[in-house]
Amino acid sequence: MIKFIFDLDGTITKSETLPVIAEQFNVQSQIEELTKETIAGNIPFMESFIRRVSMLSHLPVNEVSNLLATVELFPQLHRFIETNKENCAIATGNLSCWVDKLCEKVGCETYSSSAFVENNKVIKIKEIIKKENVVSHYHASGCTVIFIGDGNNDMEAMRKADISIASGLLHYPAKSILSIADYAVFTEEALCRLLHQLLDQLS
Amino acid sequence: MSSITPIARSVVLSCAGVGSRLGLGQTKVLVNICGKSLMEWQLELFKDVEDLRIVIGYQANAVIYEVLKHRKDVVFVYNHDYFNTKTGTSFYLGSRHANEYVLEWDGDLLVHPDDVKMLLSLDHEFIAYSDISSDEAVYVRTDDKGDVTAFSREYGDFEWTGPACIQRKKLSYTSNHVYGMLEEYLPMQGIKIRAQDIDTYDDYVRATKFIESWSEG
Repeated sequence: MIKFIFDLDGTITKSETLPVIAEQFNVQSQIEELTKETIAGNIPFMESFIRRVSMLSHLPVNEVSNLLATVELFPQLHRFIETNKENCAIATGNLSCWVDKLCEKVGCETYSSSAFVENNKVIKIKEIIKKENVVSHYHASGCTVIFIGDGNNDMEAMRKADISIASGLLHYPAKSILSIADYAVFTEEALCRLLHQLLDQLS
Repeated sequence: MSSITPIARSVVLSCAGVGSRLGLGQTKVLVNICGKSLMEWQLELFKDVEDLRIVIGYQANAVIYEVLKHRKDVVFVYNHDYFNTKTGTSFYLGSRHANEYVLEWDGDLLVHPDDVKMLLSLDHEFIAYSDISSDEAVYVRTDDKGDVTAFSREYGDFEWTGPACIQRKKLSYTSNHVYGMLEEYLPMQGIKIRAQDIDTYDDYVRATKFIESWSEG
């Protein structure tokens, strides 16, 4: 079986989600800088993620979740995932309590980081996902894995995947992933054409 | 944008190499010819091709930036081992997962626009060649119909320049040249074209004159 694993932020969504939260709750300046530096690979993902979550942890979880459910998706890509949901999965470093509704809207299996939540607030990060483990999980089931991502935190998963696609739909992909990617695309049209070709030929 | 031919075909434009023989300090598709980069000329010639795949390696980011200035919906294919491999590797990588037929095209090959249109209108396999103009050419030998019967480093009737169109399923990995991938399928239909490849500075000068001749009709 062929499995397409997608990063979420900026790969399926038309914007990065943590800055969306920051803007809504007026903490954007610190978050935006951290997000930019993280995507560029200048700050390790794990450190950046812990710092960003810490800045946002006091926010009501249900409001964040409802807000992110409104984030716009790349429509052609969304249709591809909906049509082929058995062949698709999301691997996102974001917290499940924040992105569950959004991922439900996308419509395929999701692997995400998780947190302890009390009184509608994030108390502590429980687990930060390693996306390469999601690739290994599907390899163990005999799947051919294609990973589609854009950031430095996608690199190990892309390295481990059978085929990797660097996505430049929202911003230029991190230089680190371009050093190991099989493909790079910059429009939904090109990405979906390639996904269909892979699906037809590897299924 | 839609394909102008009825067959499912991808064009694989190979631009991964260093281009050291040209001596202009950058990968060949970034070189300026008659006011445009070689890549811009190529993108104009392939504007109606839906599945355009550009194989990149040396100066990959610079090539991507140049392409994105003119067209965004291409698929970039990486040949990370461009230094140790030859054109056949780039063609194989560019063809992987592509449409049923693949049209191999070197990034440093300029073909007359009328001949590009003619080649893109064909719905079968072929090997294109031109009059001999290079000092270190690979030659093709042809039969009385003009079909290609052999490639040769020593002698032949015409110069192998590419492009070539072939079914993707016939290709397998090689670290060598494209013509080596085609040899086992000879004879193949041959088509003579007006073309100029750009390997050396003398070729670059000839390419400039070649482009200038296009407007002369």
